[in-house]
Amino acid sequence: MGKNRLIIAFLVFLLPFTFNTSWAQEIIPLKYPEDYVKYQRANAAIELGKKLFFDRRLSGDGTMSCATCHIPEMAFSDGMDISLSYPTTKNWRNAPTLINVAFHRFFFWDGRAKSLEEQALFPVMSSFEMNLNLDYMEEKIRQVPEYRSLFFEVFRGDISKVNIAKALATFQRSLISVNAPIDSYLLGNQNALSEDAKKGYELFIGKGGCVKCHHGKALLDNRFHALGVPEKEGHIKDDQIAITRRFVAKLHGFRAYKTLKEDPGRYLISKNKKDWKAFKTPSLREVSKTAPYMHNGYFQSLEEVIDFFDKGGGKGNRVLRPLNLTEREKTALKTFLVEALTGEEIKVQPPVIP
Amino acid sequence: MGLGPTIQRLMREYKGKVRLVIKQYPYKYRDFAFISSESVLAANEQGKFWQMHELLLKRSPKLDKESLISYAQEIGLDVARFKEALDKKSFAPLVERDLSLARSLDLYNTPTLFINGIKVVGNRPYEYYKKIIEQELKDGKK
Repeated sequence: MGKNRLIIAFLVFLLPFTFNTSWAQEIIPLKYPEDYVKYQRANAAIELGKKLFFDRRLSGDGTMSCATCHIPEMAFSDGMDISLSYPTTKNWRNAPTLINVAFHRFFFWDGRAKSLEEQALFPVMSSFEMNLNLDYMEEKIRQVPEYRSLFFEVFRGDISKVNIAKALATFQRSLISVNAPIDSYLLGNQNALSEDAKKGYELFIGKGGCVKCHHGKALLDNRFHALGVPEKEGHIKDDQIAITRRFVAKLHGFRAYKTLKEDPGRYLISKNKKDWKAFKTPSLREVSKTAPYMHNGYFQSLEEVIDFFDKGGGKGNRVLRPLNLTEREKTALKTFLVEALTGEEIKVQPPVIP
Repeated sequence: MGLGPTIQRLMREYKGKVRLVIKQYPYKYRDFAFISSESVLAANEQGKFWQMHELLLKRSPKLDKESLISYAQEIGLDVARFKEALDKKSFAPLVERDLSLARSLDLYNTPTLFINGIKVVGNRPYEYYKKIIEQELKDGKK
């Protein structure tokens, strides 16, 4: 009797995890219209956010806008290993794509922002990105009559840092992959993928184990992993990047910031040892358009990334194991990433800036 | 070092196939950016654009007029002629013309390249430009 009770108790405990694991390791298709209407209905706010996104007033010297590093024609990234920088400075991390950020729970490679609204103003005030004091930004935007009208129309309120962030976030949420073959395939259209891409999909959810971290609608797990991505030698030696590295570490209270020679990743935020050099799992949707890859743009191509995972990651990796993929399997996996996860181009024309 | 070495490497590799046109875009918030632009144009008049360009990057931010004249001497320019060009602001209209062009194209970042009309912002790896050039050369043969 006692033994039966124990078994029942054990099963009850196990079930929620079983269900959770099963859900967590699936790619969830984007559905039209549910996944689009929700984020694309607030047209006036999107249009206001778009204007701010392209407006160079949001940088200290008037040369940079959000679109400088998140270029629409480049899948809202900039194609650089490390992102473009404020004049006379250098950034230290890669600019991630903004497509599908509506489905993310953390933002930036170290996940320091928990909402798009919180994220939106970091680059504006960052010394090596747009370098503008936020109170000054508020007054710069308030000086423009058209913005005053638009903010009243959208928010029924005044221009403020909070509302500027809301508008920028609303615009970014509207950038969603459209008609990626994976969605059609998962919703039942067997012809949506080529045979090679289907093989790649099986590897993605099977032998490759990619789905363990790349799942859900955006193909990510909203977690941080230390894969041992190497530092780029040129970055270590670069004086301007060293300034940025020390500056960021200092801001986050990292004691040994003066001698820091690498990117501590999520550790700077969590101060948890397991997060040393851990970075946020990126979304894989539109991945064929977002090279170079990883937080420092270490890999120039998807082939290089697949090889890295196949070998079981880099030095200090605490997550990956060698996959022993054959060359044909690597090719199929790449075909899946390129063919299945690429939607139609999201065309965003630069708006008229007031 | 900026984009200079990459450009020079590309020009060597595609000698006779690619033409390079350089426009000046002095950063408006730096005291000596404009006179530095004038200096490379004055050096160019004497056939030593790249030498001056590289020296200015190396010695930046020490780019006041006196320093620029000493750099002219260092790379073997006719210093009197160089100094006269700066004194008379002979190349200022050219720099202004380039700045107007940049504004008309809505450009705000350096370096910005146009390769057969394809806009590339930022200092990118050699392979990045090479890929575009190869494609353009290929398309040009069709």
